[in-house]
Amino acid sequence: MAEHLILKNGLVFDPMNGIEGEVMDICISDGKIVEKVTESAKTIDLKAHVVMAGGVDPHSHIIGSKLNVARVTAPEVNRHSPYPATKKTRSGVAGIIPSSYATGFLYTTMGYTTVVEPALPATKALGSWEEIDDIPGLDIGLLPLFCNSMISFKYIQDKDISGLAAYIAWTLKKVGGLGVKVVNPGGTYAWAYGKNVCGLDDEVPEWDVTPRTIMTGLAQAVQELGLPHQMHFHPNNLGKPGNVHTTMQQLDAIKRVKPSGKKKKVVHLTHMAFDCLGVVEEGMANWKDVASGGLIFADYYNKNKHFTTDLGQITFGQSMTMTGDGPFQHSLYLLTGGKAKWSNIPVDVELPGGAGIVPFTFEPKSPANSVQWVGSLEFALSIKDLWRFFLSTDHPNGGPFLKYPLLISWLMSKKQRDLWLEKVHKFAVERSTIANIDREYSLNDIAITTRAAPAKILGMEKTKGHLGVGADADIAVYGFNPEKTDLAKNPELILKYFTQTQFTLKGGVQVSKNGVISKQIHSRVHTIHPELNDELSQRIDRELEDMMSRWFSHSFSNYPVPARYREHLEIPRVIDSTSIQA
Amino acid sequence: VKGNTVTLEKAIERATEIIASSKRLLIYGLSSTENDAQREAYRLAELAGGVVDNTTSVCHGPTILGAQESGEVTASLAETRHRADLVIYWGANPAAAHPRHIPHYIRQPGEYIKDPKADRQIWLVDVRETTTARMVDRFLKISSASDLEVIETLRALIRGTKLDVTEVGGINIKELEEIAATMMTTRYGVLFFGLGLTQSWGRHRNIDAAIRLIQDLNAYTKWGLMPMRGHYNVSGANKTSTWVTGYPYAIDFARGYPRFSPGEYTAVDMLARGEADALLNIAADPVAHFPRAAVAHLARIPVINIDPKFNMTSRLAEVNIPAAIAGIECDGAATRMDGLPLYLKKVIDPPEGVIPDRDILRMVIKSLEKVMK
Repeated sequence: MAEHLILKNGLVFDPMNGIEGEVMDICISDGKIVEKVTESAKTIDLKAHVVMAGGVDPHSHIIGSKLNVARVTAPEVNRHSPYPATKKTRSGVAGIIPSSYATGFLYTTMGYTTVVEPALPATKALGSWEEIDDIPGLDIGLLPLFCNSMISFKYIQDKDISGLAAYIAWTLKKVGGLGVKVVNPGGTYAWAYGKNVCGLDDEVPEWDVTPRTIMTGLAQAVQELGLPHQMHFHPNNLGKPGNVHTTMQQLDAIKRVKPSGKKKKVVHLTHMAFDCLGVVEEGMANWKDVASGGLIFADYYNKNKHFTTDLGQITFGQSMTMTGDGPFQHSLYLLTGGKAKWSNIPVDVELPGGAGIVPFTFEPKSPANSVQWVGSLEFALSIKDLWRFFLSTDHPNGGPFLKYPLLISWLMSKKQRDLWLEKVHKFAVERSTIANIDREYSLNDIAITTRAAPAKILGMEKTKGHLGVGADADIAVYGFNPEKTDLAKNPELILKYFTQTQFTLKGGVQVSKNGVISKQIHSRVHTIHPELNDELSQRIDRELEDMMSRWFSHSFSNYPVPARYREHLEIPRVIDSTSIQA
Repeated sequence: VKGNTVTLEKAIERATEIIASSKRLLIYGLSSTENDAQREAYRLAELAGGVVDNTTSVCHGPTILGAQESGEVTASLAETRHRADLVIYWGANPAAAHPRHIPHYIRQPGEYIKDPKADRQIWLVDVRETTTARMVDRFLKISSASDLEVIETLRALIRGTKLDVTEVGGINIKELEEIAATMMTTRYGVLFFGLGLTQSWGRHRNIDAAIRLIQDLNAYTKWGLMPMRGHYNVSGANKTSTWVTGYPYAIDFARGYPRFSPGEYTAVDMLARGEADALLNIAADPVAHFPRAAVAHLARIPVINIDPKFNMTSRLAEVNIPAAIAGIECDGAATRMDGLPLYLKKVIDPPEGVIPDRDILRMVIKSLEKVMK
């Protein structure tokens, strides 16, 4: 490994530092980007190549038991996509749900270097750490779920935000989490009773809590702890036509939460393609009358600055829907006429109703799928501030992450959109304004929405998402010259260049070249360790010990992930949360 | 080695020779060891271009095939304890096979089941009156090989179909109607099933039907189902195998990437066909459990056996390597049958010179890498 390296003459796109396609040299020393290096440093000439920071994906399901259930119940999605071993690298499968090694390699060759698993049942965290040991080449974060846990409900019912914050702090530290995930608050719990919730003030069985008190309570606790990443939010009513209105109501409710730090964002609304469906005028809230909610939501986004969002774009073809939203997955199964393979996984008291998994194929000729496809594109092409937004397919829900280049091509090329509008159902045009939108994302816009903005949204902007001094030397080099290549006119080139980098560097090490993995390295896991004051810390230990002994299978002392599974991977970041009163 | 006591290094050397000279290596077992050892076994299988299979292929393999048809609507043990007001065992005998299961989870009070005796019903469906039959509230004796018919009858009744029969599987249709009605009106039901369902007439079709039954019931109330797994970490073997290779068992690495084919790369079939030319067995006892034709072939090929104890396979093995017991003599992670990961602590040191399975496998891999260079 070259300790020192200079990348010379590349065309650099680094929007966080205001650099848009300038020819620059980048110096690397000990895995970091530095001001300058010694003359003896190894030099790579990148003349006529595009250079960006490594891609950052804050929402991709790559770890956990839900993936294994999907792989086991649907081996056919991987059967035709073998990923052979080489002398240096392990084998696997690379279909819709790639195996662990292949997941790391495929992200690497696409130029992504940071990926966050957005749904971790904390009680199963040990298994996730073991799995990460077999996912090479990435910086990884885990977002534990807190939204349907009886422990959260107890604190929310008692209006005890300090207790709730302490429970979050304890869990992030003990199992190694990066932030807080909320999925259908109250709804997945109600699913243990065969029910769901839909209104903000609906009752949750057995508890004096509502979706409103759960989502605002958790968002408030995240702010009081001062976590770098705001509450990561999958709303109620996911996948229901007309839900753009209830989603906006929920975001309005969360708007009342006071930001504690400099960052004014209190919530990240994830996979908006599934949360922002409209209906035609005077239509009913059903799939027959579904219309794009993209424009309505873009208007709301442009006017309200308290939240960030990502696409969750559907990409057509085979996908695998998996969420912590058990009742939604059941309704999707019913939508297939009870034919689909429906799986449900309840998890002790943290997710009693259960996560769900249903294989699903999005058809271009389906009116409903076409409208959902167009809605999120319409949104992405209508918003002003790209810094509160990133690209995703909610892998593998909207489609596998391998479809990112296709998504990029829809955003960068009007020509590509027009080609696809011919393939899909006519409702895509009739029930949206897409045909009239001429906007095309620039390379700089792509750099914002695949690196810089997601790094900021995660609160990792010091070391990720840019190429300034002090950043980690995670770098993607693309093999084309934008001055000579008109990507918008040649969308097939977008697919070609963004599917495979010329080089990917991870921590200054060249990990892939032209789609071939050159080095298999261990991933690292970024975690947040909020420090509480002694009084609160003692209180939470006492209370959790009691609740866990009553409710969990794990005892209080067996719940944490042991150091031996973590220490070789973990990069903990300690934050000061001692001001929260016991 | 060949009945003589040798150093660990000598045993590894011979094991490596066997593996290196084999053309069709079979690695089998893995269900009574911890996850790290399993992960090393996949690495070894990949390196040697062999086949790796775990004990699933002779127990709940049909459960997995059933789930491939229909999905799986699972349950968790803590949720069962807190919420289940109806628990049904089908073709399972936990009193004998899982003696701690009923006292620990089913006869315990939970958050919403304050008095397990009064608030929770336990039923058993089986073809004979087992020890469990004496512990349950209701025992339904069905005739042998009628499981599929009984399950499909229940599904039909739940869908409101009137059936023109007087009895199915030896149970009166009136009683089946009442059973279906109770299943639809219970608050939270869990179906536990054992090898009586997976390995009897119908096999994976029984499981497919049971899964569909539970899925149907979720339109009315809450139900889940769970296989009663045998070896303590067979769930872990499925789990580690699935994330590393994409598939839960029966995996062939001959082409340099994993391929999955139960019936083809499953251990019994590989041996009965005479296809495997060497066996590396870890933490299982195929000689005790496999059919005669498979064991007969085992007697013809070199066998390496890694196990803490002397078992039937040890008698036949050319190389026997004793290993530390995870959870007693070394640490490790395992997966409970409902998918919950558990950390196994080390309690005492292993006997001198005895090391964990994972370390033995790492030594074999290292020496094989040297040989293959």
